Amino acid sequence: MKKKLLAVTLAAAMAASLTACQGSESADGGGADNKGVSITIFNSKIEVQAQFEEMAKEYSETSGVNVEVYYSNDTVAAHLATKYSSNDPYTLSMVDAKDVYSLAEDHAIDLTGEKWVDNTNYAISMNGKVVGFPVCVEARGLIYNKDAIEKVTGEPFNPEDYTTLDAFQGLLEKLAAGGMETPTGIMKEDWSLAGHFLSEVYETQEDVDGFISSLHEGSADLANNARWNARMDYFDTMMKYNYAAGSAIAAEREVSEQKLAEGEIAFMFGGNWDWSMINAYEYSENMGIMPVPENTSDGTNKKLVGGGSKYFFIDSSDNTSEEQRQAAKDFLNWLVFDEAGNSFLTEKCALVPAYSNINAAGLDPLSVSVKSYADAGNLIDNYNYLPDDHFSLCGAAFQKYLAGQTDRAGLAAEIENYWKSTTPVEH
Amino acid sequence: MKTNTMSYKCRQFLMFAGVTTAMFIAVVIVPFIYGIYLTLTSWDGVSKQKPFVGFANYAATFGDGAYWQAMGRTFLYSFIAVILVNIVAFILAFLVTSGVKGQNFFRAGFFTPNLIGGIVLGYIWKFVFNRAFVALGNSFSIGPLSTSWLATTGGAMLCLIIVSVWQYAGYMMLIYVAGFMSVSEDVLEAARIDGCTNTQSIVYVSVPLMTSSFVQCLFLTVTRCFMVYDVNLSLTNGEPFNSSVMAAMHVYNQAFTYKNFGVGQAEALILFVVCAVVGVLQVYVGKKGEVSA
Repeated sequence: MKKKLLAVTLAAAMAASLTACQGSESADGGGADNKGVSITIFNSKIEVQAQFEEMAKEYSETSGVNVEVYYSNDTVAAHLATKYSSNDPYTLSMVDAKDVYSLAEDHAIDLTGEKWVDNTNYAISMNGKVVGFPVCVEARGLIYNKDAIEKVTGEPFNPEDYTTLDAFQGLLEKLAAGGMETPTGIMKEDWSLAGHFLSEVYETQEDVDGFISSLHEGSADLANNARWNARMDYFDTMMKYNYAAGSAIAAEREVSEQKLAEGEIAFMFGGNWDWSMINAYEYSENMGIMPVPENTSDGTNKKLVGGGSKYFFIDSSDNTSEEQRQAAKDFLNWLVFDEAGNSFLTEKCALVPAYSNINAAGLDPLSVSVKSYADAGNLIDNYNYLPDDHFSLCGAAFQKYLAGQTDRAGLAAEIENYWKSTTPVEH
Repeated sequence: MKTNTMSYKCRQFLMFAGVTTAMFIAVVIVPFIYGIYLTLTSWDGVSKQKPFVGFANYAATFGDGAYWQAMGRTFLYSFIAVILVNIVAFILAFLVTSGVKGQNFFRAGFFTPNLIGGIVLGYIWKFVFNRAFVALGNSFSIGPLSTSWLATTGGAMLCLIIVSVWQYAGYMMLIYVAGFMSVSEDVLEAARIDGCTNTQSIVYVSVPLMTSSFVQCLFLTVTRCFMVYDVNLSLTNGEPFNSSVMAAMHVYNQAFTYKNFGVGQAEALILFVVCAVVGVLQVYVGKKGEVSA
């Protein structure tokens, strides 16, 4: 009998040790501490994770609200899906615009009456309710390294002089003749080619929604579309002068960014988020973003494409208490209306503010360009309703073009076929 | 105490295996059944509703050309990788049991790649293929090395196979080493007295006696190759132009990136069935061939 007892005790001890491992992992997400409420924040911008953690510590001390910040290497949608399935959602989640559209209906509270709503043009509304708090403004365009260009040409470089493709080609020729034989770089990542560059073909159309639905219906003639051809003429130019022309789809982003930062190449298509990579190298001080040069008279070659980027929403489920929601709202207001919040956004994280009352000094060079275009009203809106597989499937098609395995007509046909086979995102 | 009553047996079972069975059910069986249920819904992964759609996801799976391409690619990759891994592992095992000086050092060395996680291994080799080989190719003007293999369709697959062989050969080598050691010295001596050459004694004596090692190694490599994801993700990430996307990666993309959870789950289930059939069949056939001395 004694042996049996021993066996049972041992078995129980082992079982307990197994569950103990599990227990420590699932720390309580919504538990309030003694001093005040606790809120959790999901941050999806890896480059500012350290700043967020530091801010959370300071904010917890000054406001008495305990703030914890998390980051995940998974894609945003996949990570939040796990959190929702385990009934352990974040109080505040920072997501991309497209995620707001898929998540907000079930999971976000109405923020319509909030004070900050009047101070921004970028908030996301669904069914007449404001649900998404824009974190910053980001825009895409052609990144240039002014110092590198001037060093070769010996003349001052003014991006406004190169809005047409003809002028731009002239400059590239001059650079090539002056010793910078391959002045451009191209990011081969599918999210860059299709998610950022190809999407501008849609975004710069006069009637974006109309154009997308004509693609769905199969009535759009991409190959003869003026916007498509203008963009592809530019892309061909970039390909011709690409430093990695021989093996364009093996070019690593880190290498391209380094070459751009250090002035080995002068131009690359990207956005102000690229600064977080550029500043890891010996970068030149005078860089900026200019509109994509095109031979067109419709004015798109004088604007960047962009708008609000990364949105906070507040969880609406029963797992979040009313006090937590209030604390989350207070936190958003702190970001917009408190000096410490402002300096966190613009100085610590170097984000272009999405709010008219925030004065941004000390931004990085790319963000300064973006802000000047945004302030002048020269931003073409992002199109946030691309299907989730667009960047991957059209990106693959675009990579084939970049590798020289298909021509412009073939690429246009593949993109048209993609749109015919997909379902529109309702909005 | 009676030991063959039902209640005694039940109690014995519960005492020794009850906890593990409960956990196995909780973390494997229940999710598996729940997963099968999810294949019948058009859930997107995050929304609260899980609309029931019957077998529409299976129909979508059969219509998903990219999935079957990925599947075909996985078959091809597994076929080549399994053969190469086992050949290399067998040769290594033979070399490190043949009494070379410092064979323990070699054993440890060949086993090391297996201790590096697949993700890290992928990044290391990406650097080797993209930079080291290219730099070598350029400085010694070796044509095939001067551009990155990862940039071409066939090259990316070749890279995946090379890395898999590098990763698994050491581990399988250990199993083959155990096989070589288990072949008794008397049998080999008898063979030598009968006039066997070295090669003959390996082919006709050692190999048949090591069949169980072959069965184990083949089973392990086949299942691992079919489920490959980590190296696929960090080495090629499906590039160039989604031509190196393996079945597991396609399933992940379908479920989490394209947000077709139901379709992804259905595709995962089919992948599971294929793996199970191939694995079980191979073990069954292999077991039949086992001999004992």
